[in-house]
Amino acid sequence: MGKLLEVNNLKVSYHTYAGEVQSVRGVDFSLCEGETLAIVGESGCGKSVTAKSIMGLIQTPPGEIKTGSKIIYRSKSVLDFNKKQLLQYRGAESSMIFQDALTSLNPTMTVGKQIIENITTHNKVKKNVAEERAMEMLKLVGIPDPEIRIKQYPHEFSGGMRQRVMIAIALACNPKLLIADEPTTSLDVSIQAQIIDLIVELQNKLGTAVILITHDLGVVARIAKNVIVMYSGKIMEYGSCDDIFYNSRHPYTRALLNSVPRIDLKNKQDLFQIEGTPPDLLDPPKGCPFSTRCKYCMNICLEHEADKIVFDGDHFAYCWLYDSRAPKVDITQQNGSEVNGD
Amino acid sequence: MLKYVIKKLITMLITLFVIATATFFILAAVPGDALTERVEKLPAQTRMNLYKKYGLDKPLMERYVITMVGLFKGDFGESILYPGQTVNKIIKEKLPASARLGLQQMIVGISVGMVLGIIAVMKKGTYIEYIILIVAVLFISVPHLVFGLGLQKIFAGTLRWFPVIGWPKGSQVWFGGWKYTVLPTLTGCFVYIASYSRLLKTSMLDVINQDYILTAQSKGLSESQIMRKHVLRNSFIPIMTTLPMSVAMSITGSFFIERIFAIPGLGMYYVTAVNGRDLPIILGESVIIATLYIVVVFLTDILYTVIDPRIRTNASKSMVD
Amino acid sequence: MNIEALKDFEIIGCEGTDKNVISRPTITYWQDAWRRLKKNKIAITSILVLIALAVLVIIGPTMRHYDYISIKAAEKNTAPNAKYWFGTDNLGRDLYARTWLGARVSMTVALVCTAIQILIGSIYGGTMAYLGGRTDDVMMRIIEFMTSMPSLLVTILVMLVLGNNMFALLIALSVTSWCETARQMRGLILQLKTSEYVLAARALGASPKRIIIKHLIPNTLGILILITASSIPTYIFTEAGLSFLGMGLQPPDISLGILISFGQQSMDFYPYQLFYPALILCITVLAFNLLGDGLRDALDPRLRQ
Repeated sequence: MGKLLEVNNLKVSYHTYAGEVQSVRGVDFSLCEGETLAIVGESGCGKSVTAKSIMGLIQTPPGEIKTGSKIIYRSKSVLDFNKKQLLQYRGAESSMIFQDALTSLNPTMTVGKQIIENITTHNKVKKNVAEERAMEMLKLVGIPDPEIRIKQYPHEFSGGMRQRVMIAIALACNPKLLIADEPTTSLDVSIQAQIIDLIVELQNKLGTAVILITHDLGVVARIAKNVIVMYSGKIMEYGSCDDIFYNSRHPYTRALLNSVPRIDLKNKQDLFQIEGTPPDLLDPPKGCPFSTRCKYCMNICLEHEADKIVFDGDHFAYCWLYDSRAPKVDITQQNGSEVNGD
Repeated sequence: MLKYVIKKLITMLITLFVIATATFFILAAVPGDALTERVEKLPAQTRMNLYKKYGLDKPLMERYVITMVGLFKGDFGESILYPGQTVNKIIKEKLPASARLGLQQMIVGISVGMVLGIIAVMKKGTYIEYIILIVAVLFISVPHLVFGLGLQKIFAGTLRWFPVIGWPKGSQVWFGGWKYTVLPTLTGCFVYIASYSRLLKTSMLDVINQDYILTAQSKGLSESQIMRKHVLRNSFIPIMTTLPMSVAMSITGSFFIERIFAIPGLGMYYVTAVNGRDLPIILGESVIIATLYIVVVFLTDILYTVIDPRIRTNASKSMVD
Repeated sequence: MNIEALKDFEIIGCEGTDKNVISRPTITYWQDAWRRLKKNKIAITSILVLIALAVLVIIGPTMRHYDYISIKAAEKNTAPNAKYWFGTDNLGRDLYARTWLGARVSMTVALVCTAIQILIGSIYGGTMAYLGGRTDDVMMRIIEFMTSMPSLLVTILVMLVLGNNMFALLIALSVTSWCETARQMRGLILQLKTSEYVLAARALGASPKRIIIKHLIPNTLGILILITASSIPTYIFTEAGLSFLGMGLQPPDISLGILISFGQQSMDFYPYQLFYPALILCITVLAFNLLGDGLRDALDPRLRQ
């Protein structure tokens, strides 16, 4: 299967009154057809900006995609699309769903019309054909009584239903790529599972590739084939799901995994937390961004960004610990109950 | 939905009743009235007769009941200053002029205003937006009367492009004699241009920053499509709430404009009545104006539910409990 | 790039580093608003203009020591010259002094009415929000009733009853204006009352007094400032309009509206008699409107960066 999407050296900044905020500082990854990639990280690490760049939704100004950045979709450079190509690409080839389904849907337009809009923008079909398709989509995402629902407004649906509607809109033209930006963050846990299951089901049916952006590791475990761990605008580690969960190499990934509260912790044991806050992207540090919070920080980490170290196959990380000159530390020995500095 | 409309209708009628009552009692408290002046020089018997005619010889509460019943039947009273002129007659004569002026002002002003607002948003950041902004503020800051006087002096007095005063009469009242209507309409419409352009601009900017516009973009809709189908409709909603105020502005603005341009309309007549303490006229016209205003508010409410489906659901929901 | 030194690869951990350095200075809401206002040149210009106007309004009438009341038939209707900067009116009175006196009256009326409006409006609205329930309903009905008539109408009727003096004018102008303010305050306080940060404050054990002072007042102050900035020009307008129609203040009282109405009568022959009062009126209102716009932009929390 050929590569569906390739992102090379993506650098995106926003120009604000306070200066230039470097949201994404050099990101590389690729995705094949039908695959699922998860992008994990704390708030503000650049996940959403990366997603928006792939969709061509970065407003310039105040945003700026730096030269040297490449986004290749099916051998075509997205960043070089003209207006017409971009409009054709969005919605039909690549589509996106967002976190808050209530504010992301037009409150004065029926749900049906919003789905139909996507269909008719990309296909010249008669109105009733589009309506049929819209009802099909509603059925597909598991909304009962589509004939009635299609004429209703977003506020007449519950949270989980609205998210399904968003998915119906996004998949209406059968795009090859679906980007889901924290689709479950604002939903109840039980509904979360339903939505994720739905995405998996649809993916299998339609063969869509999915980029899932989340900070919820549980969701990642369920759905992702490969995982990118982002921090402060850069990739820290990339690997398959197994690699990341069972064999993570980067201290940040380790710390993230340790932060998930575990049910088998002893009573009154402190919860693990990563001390400190992410660096300010107005003035990014010159070395590794995680250096100030990493218990394995070395002098070199403060001065230079690490090179890419490839482990086996597709698993790589950016960390000086794996340079041949670094002391051999087995970070897998530390487990969840420790606090920094012990 | 129907229940909602009926409920509002009833509220409207009750409010009218309360307003009429309040106006009556306020006016009853006015020291001195037109009649007193008129009868000063007349012999006692004539005085008694006149009082009887206007029902002023009866005690307050009785007068109140009579007036209310009269209003209900559509009889709004008779002028003291100009005997024989009933309010109904006056309204028939003068309403067309005021209505035409008011409508022209509003139609021109609101449509131009909205167009300017849209342009200001589309050309945001450029000098065009800046100009529209400045113009809008200027228009708001110059009061009707100064503006009207200024226009009158320049275009009618000095340049002689338009007549100084007057208004088409008779058969031409509605659609003819446009020369007379130009200056007054211009004077009145600028306020609307200013306020509606700013209103629409703010509203549109608000809408454009909403999340659902991002969703629309991600569907591959072009800017003009997004403008038309998503932005405009949602931006119009807050504009609806301003309409009744605009009508009120138009009515009260007519007081000034009609005075400046000597237009024989309701506004001018109201001013004359007030200055002359012609109480029946004041009562009758006040009630009429209040009615007009309330009706507009009522219609706007209904229109609001049509445009914003969220209100519709809430409206029918609130009927259930 | 020589990174051979082994020392570079010693693990030093992160104990000594300053993890929580916040490199951006924190600025409060008010500081940020002030900064934005300062950047807005138009708003600053308006403030300066208003200050100048305020000064002139205070010292203007007596600046040139001309008697502006007594009639000097010999000097009537003179055009502006070195002696009479704005000319004289049809009774020979100095228009410069009279204009500033009129402005003084108009401004006073506007300020007093605004104060009344805000005071009554805030208390009424705050009470509505605080008491809630049926009292809120009843109070709301009263407001709805009062706003069901165009306010100018009510003002005119009140003036009819109370006469044409200053006192009557003040009451007549503010009798309906507080309604809208009350509505806004009620909406705002209700919103604040149920907002999450007030809830958080209460959960943290803050006393009601502290909540009011630290949370409610600062948030309402912004709206009140805006209301003030937009009410003042409205009052100036309305007063001028009423006086122009003969329904407001009357001679020998002086206000901008009266001066304009006199000016209109001699508009064709002595345009300056209309021009100057009208100009002062427009400049004042313009300055307030521009300032109000600037304030609105500066105080809007959504534009905060």
